[in-house]
Amino acid sequence: MEPTTTLAEAAPQAAAPASRFWDIFPTDSLFDQMFTMDTALKLIRVSLAIVLGLIFVGLVVAILRRMTRKRMDSRTGSLVVKVAQYLGYAFIVINALDAAQVNLSALLGAAGIAGIALGFAAQTSVSNFISGIFIVSEKTFANGDVISVDGTAGLVYSIDAISVKLRTFDNQLIRIPNETLIKSKVANITRFPVRRLNMDILITYDADIERTVAILKDIAANSQNALKNPEPVFMVTGFKDSGIGLFFGVWYATSEWFDGNNAMYIAVKKRFDAEGIEFAFPTMTIYPKPVAIGDDATIPVRQPRRKKAV
Amino acid sequence: MAGEGDILAAMPIYPRMPADTKGKREKPNLSLPPLNDPLWTRFYMGKEDGYDLVPAYPPLPICLRLKDPFLLPPGATLEGWVFSRIEASILVNGTAIVSYPLAIPFKTLYGTPDAGVVCRFEEAEFLATAEPVMSSLNDDPRFVAHPVRLKNTSAVPVMVSELCIYGEQLSIFGQESLMISERLLFLFSSSGVRMSLDGQAPLPPGAITIAKPTVSGEERFIVRSFELFKAITRI
Repeated sequence: MEPTTTLAEAAPQAAAPASRFWDIFPTDSLFDQMFTMDTALKLIRVSLAIVLGLIFVGLVVAILRRMTRKRMDSRTGSLVVKVAQYLGYAFIVINALDAAQVNLSALLGAAGIAGIALGFAAQTSVSNFISGIFIVSEKTFANGDVISVDGTAGLVYSIDAISVKLRTFDNQLIRIPNETLIKSKVANITRFPVRRLNMDILITYDADIERTVAILKDIAANSQNALKNPEPVFMVTGFKDSGIGLFFGVWYATSEWFDGNNAMYIAVKKRFDAEGIEFAFPTMTIYPKPVAIGDDATIPVRQPRRKKAV
Repeated sequence: MAGEGDILAAMPIYPRMPADTKGKREKPNLSLPPLNDPLWTRFYMGKEDGYDLVPAYPPLPICLRLKDPFLLPPGATLEGWVFSRIEASILVNGTAIVSYPLAIPFKTLYGTPDAGVVCRFEEAEFLATAEPVMSSLNDDPRFVAHPVRLKNTSAVPVMVSELCIYGEQLSIFGQESLMISERLLFLFSSSGVRMSLDGQAPLPPGAITIAKPTVSGEERFIVRSFELFKAITRI
């Protein structure tokens, strides 16, 4: 009986190392349940989906970058690339979840609810973003153009996803939301190569209109910046309260309009002064009535000839 | 001569235009403003010890308005001459620093207000070689002569009133006292008018090159095409 006892005692001693491993990692533990062949396959599939997705998105983004660099300005190009990049990342995440056999319908349902909530919260931002897409596609203006929006004029500094930034001529940065731009009247001042200077001139009734027109045309003909073609436009705008209204339009190269504006107004003032043509301004003529004192005495009132009031 | 560290200053002075219509004439003011006046344009000269003053075309295209416009019948070809004003260009080591017009430069628009080109404005006559005014203009150092060929390939008569010349594509050749450019071809078609160098024309005999083109015709064509593309697409 003794040997049997010995064997019986020896067996647990020989099996001791194996039992320690399974003590640490028991077969029914969570680790054992996780690291099945099925899980490993899932992991490989997910990893492949992520790696291949990243390579695919990277390729698409690189091609888009190259295409937009040639065909679009930098801001629009980066906007397009960013949108593509984020869509690509969303595609990778969905693909990876699908590879992991996660029930996407529930997730997408939850995402839909979250999306609605986010949509309400980010309504203004989304509206600005969509307006930005329309602004870019309409091509009303580009970086470097001078635009005027609701009385604010400035150089287009940047066209971004949510807003357009203007640099005003007194060097301020103005941010205008894209939604506002879509709704407002936007004037692109530098779109075309030439621009007309519109002068509204009021001359007195005793001035000779034909002579005035000849003088104005002569000033334009001798102005260095004024264009010979298109020829200056002239129009009598009517008999106004204070004088005869004239319209005189002179064309300039857009880049020289500012200098031309100043030079033209100065030249017209100097020349009118030299030629004796008077600018009209609002005047008021007062005819006083003699005031009677007593029965037959009348005090004559000094009569001013003409009183001017602005 | 100017050396390293020298400042080269230049200022164009034009004859005064008559200020009014009454026939009064002001005496020309010949006194120059002091050198610290902002009217002077200054350039700092580098290591080069000299500069050249050469005739050049203006940086803007030149629009020549013909004094006597004429009708070019369909299919007709006409050869003649036009003259345009040169500018005085300052070159340092072959590089153009600045150029000054020799008369007050006026401008005009060639094309339509939404897509035209702003050009230098000049008035000129379209001349045949036999016309007596040719010789006087040939001797005038302010002008460069352009031999031109006009061809109407459209089906309708064309009224020729303006010719637009892109000087940056042209050379100036000196031939005795005459300054002359390459021969130009103006092709009038149903789609518009196009200026190009006339391949059939020989170079003037014994001519020396005074000024070279700043851009080639192909380069100009590519740039203009790109500008047009940008204008159309607003990209």
